[in-house]
Amino acid sequence: MSLTSEELVRLNIEAKDWEDAIRQAADALLQNGKIKASYIDAIIKTVKETGPYIVITKHVALPHARSEAGALESAIGIATLKEPVVFGNKENDPVKYLFCLSAKDSESHINALAELTGLLDRKDFYEFLDQAKDASEVIKYIKNL
Amino acid sequence: MEFKGLVACRAGVGSSLMLKIKVNQVISEHKLPIKIEHGSLDSVSGFNGQFIITLSDVAKELEGKKLPQKIVGINNIMNKEEILTKLNAFLAEVK
Repeated sequence: MSLTSEELVRLNIEAKDWEDAIRQAADALLQNGKIKASYIDAIIKTVKETGPYIVITKHVALPHARSEAGALESAIGIATLKEPVVFGNKENDPVKYLFCLSAKDSESHINALAELTGLLDRKDFYEFLDQAKDASEVIKYIKNL
Repeated sequence: MEFKGLVACRAGVGSSLMLKIKVNQVISEHKLPIKIEHGSLDSVSGFNGQFIITLSDVAKELEGKKLPQKIVGINNIMNKEEILTKLNAFLAEVK
């Protein structure tokens, strides 16, 4: 997962609701110049208007918007919530893991996304995230797979 | 006969790419006669295949648009059983 790094990891976020969870998870990308603030607003707006399309599997959200909404560099953030929150997706709620995606075009993130898809298939990945203490541990785990 | 499906999501850069990976895994594991393309919702109108496969909330929206294609909605992208069941249901219907 070349598109992620220690700075993009946020563990045990205390979020009061789904919107707060997205804002805090995406903040890592904002602080590191991967997205503009408008990108986060676009994610929230789309969820409000059309539903929790970003919740893709049990307990997992992939917050993302169109590149034009303010993606500056392709990147993937990794965030976990201290307490899961409800997104309104009855199959897959509540959400505990958020992988905020920024895609600056339609190509550059495809390999990383394929790797993330592989990770999401592994039960041990979630178990690892549940007990991980810091960001460096998470990156080391991913690199050693 | 081979069928053509479009994997689509709202942005066309995230969920649909992941769904495409999983759908292609299911197709090759079970040798289904399906070929998959991928795009955002904007590409739906120019698509000339037989079905569109997407996340279930997007599927609901597309069903209201009276498109010529069959709409297949997936709840859980990572659940290959669900994908297989729904692709087989589509194939049974069009055969």
